[in-house]
Amino acid sequence: MNCQRLKNWVEERYDVEEIKDFAKKKLVPTHKYEIWYYTGGITLFLFVIQFITGMILSFYYVPHFEHAYKSIIEIVTKLNMGWFFRSLHHWGAQLAIVFLFIHVWSTLLLKSYRKPREFLWFSGFMLLGISIFFGLSGYLLLWDERAFAAVKVATGGAGNLPVIGNFIKAFLRGGIDVTGETLIRFYAFHVSILPLATLFLIGLHILLVQYHGMSVPLSLEKKAHKEIPFFPNLFYKDLIIWLIILGIVVTLATLVPPEIGKKADPLAPAPENIKPEWYFLFLFQTLKLFPGEILGLNGEMIAIILISCGILFFFLIPFFDKKSNRGEKSPLFTWIGIIYFLYFVIMTVFGFVS
Amino acid sequence: MKIDYSLITRRTFLNTLFGGWLVALCSGSAYALLKFAFPTLGKEPDFVVLNTKDFMNIPPNSVKPFAWGGKVGLFFKNANGTSTALKGVCTHMECNITYKPEDKKFYCACHKGWFDENGKNIEGPPPKPLEFFDFKIEGEKLIVAKKGIKVELPKA
Repeated sequence: MNCQRLKNWVEERYDVEEIKDFAKKKLVPTHKYEIWYYTGGITLFLFVIQFITGMILSFYYVPHFEHAYKSIIEIVTKLNMGWFFRSLHHWGAQLAIVFLFIHVWSTLLLKSYRKPREFLWFSGFMLLGISIFFGLSGYLLLWDERAFAAVKVATGGAGNLPVIGNFIKAFLRGGIDVTGETLIRFYAFHVSILPLATLFLIGLHILLVQYHGMSVPLSLEKKAHKEIPFFPNLFYKDLIIWLIILGIVVTLATLVPPEIGKKADPLAPAPENIKPEWYFLFLFQTLKLFPGEILGLNGEMIAIILISCGILFFFLIPFFDKKSNRGEKSPLFTWIGIIYFLYFVIMTVFGFVS
Repeated sequence: MKIDYSLITRRTFLNTLFGGWLVALCSGSAYALLKFAFPTLGKEPDFVVLNTKDFMNIPPNSVKPFAWGGKVGLFFKNANGTSTALKGVCTHMECNITYKPEDKKFYCACHKGWFDENGKNIEGPPPKPLEFFDFKIEGEKLIVAKKGIKVELPKA
C-alpha cells in the first residue's frame, strides 16, 4: 500500500498534527536528580515483559494442585524455550520489585508526593502492594514446599489482624487451610484480578504524571532550571536504559535459572532453613523479633498491628507532611524516609545472614 | 420545575430516584458477589479414624504424620514407648512442625520455634503449647479425637 495514501487515510479521520504538536511541546525538567525519573519507566518496561511472558506461560501452566508442579517441570524441560520464558518471568518480577522499591524511595526522599501529587503517591503505593501480592501469588503457583509454607505464614499473618483478620484469611485461602482451593484462588488473582487492577492503576498513574508534569525537588523548585523536550531527548534515553535492563534480565534468566523445590506436601514439616522471598525478609525478621507473649497479650498480633500501622503511615505520608505541602523544606520527613529505608535494608540483610 | 406546594423540584426527585436505584443496584450486586467469593468454610474435624497397624508399631522416639482435615496430625511415640497424638501445626504461624529425635523436641523451621516432648513452647516465637489429642483403639481402628470429644462409631 502506498504510504502517502495511508497517511492521508489516517489524517482525514484523526487530527495527527495536533498529536505531533503536543509531542513537540512536552517538556521535562532537567537537573542533577533527574536520574530518578527513569526508575518509573524501567518499572513500566519490566511490567510489559511480565505481561508478555506471563501470557505465554499461561498456555501451558495447569492450575491444579495435582498437576501444577509437574506442568512447570514440563515447561522448563520439554517445551521450546520454556526454561527461558519461565526464567525471564522470574527475573523480570525480581527486578520489577527492586525498581519499584527504588522508585518509591526516590519519590519519598525527593518529596515528589507533596501537593498536588498525592494521588500519584497513592496509586503508586497501591501498585507496589499489588506487585508484592503478584509475587506471593505467582510464587504459590509453583506449588513447592517453600511456596506452600510461605503462603501459610503470609495468609496466617493477615489472620492476626483484629476483627477483619479471619475474614481476610479465609477469603485468601478459600477455606480454613492452604489447599488446592488456595492455588486456584491465587491463580485467579495472578492472571486475572491483579493484572486488570494493574492496568487500571498504571493508566491512572501515567495520566496523572502527564497531567501534573514531572515533580521538581523542593531544593531546585524555586531556582531556574532547564527543560528539555520529552521527544526525542528523554524518550531515547529511556529506550537506551530499557535495552540495558533487557540485557540484564536476559543475562540473569540465562545464567541463573530459578530453582524449584520439592513438591508441596501438606503433611510434611516445613523445610529446614526456610526463608521467604527477599522482599518479605524484613517482615519475616520483624516477626522473629517478637516473643510469643508481651504483657499477657498475643505477641504476633501486636507485631502484625505495628507492621500495619507502619505501612499505613507510609501510605498516608502526603497528608502528614504539611511542610513540604507548603513548599518548605521538611527535614523531619527526610529522616522518617531514611529510617524506613534503613529499617528495610538492615532487616533484609539480617534476614539473609541469620 | 417546582410545583408551588411541593417541597422538592422534579429534578431533585428524579436524581434521588435514580441515585437510589444506582446505590441499591451496586450494593446488592456487591453483596451477592462477596457472598459468592467468600468460601463456605469447612471446620476442623472432631476426630479421624486411622488404621491401628500403621501407627502403633512405629519405633519409639519417632512420629508419623496423618491427615487431620486439611492439616497435619502427628502420632508420637516417645522414648519410653508412650504414644500420643497431636496437631502438627505450629501455634505461631501455622507452619508444619517436625520432631527432632536427637533433641527430643518439636521444631518449627519457619521462625525457629521449639516445643518440648509435652508440647510446651520453650523457645522462639510460639505463643501457646501444641494441641494434643485423645486416642483410643477399637480393633483395627485407631480413633484420634479432640480432647473432650466422645466418639461413637456406628456398628457395621
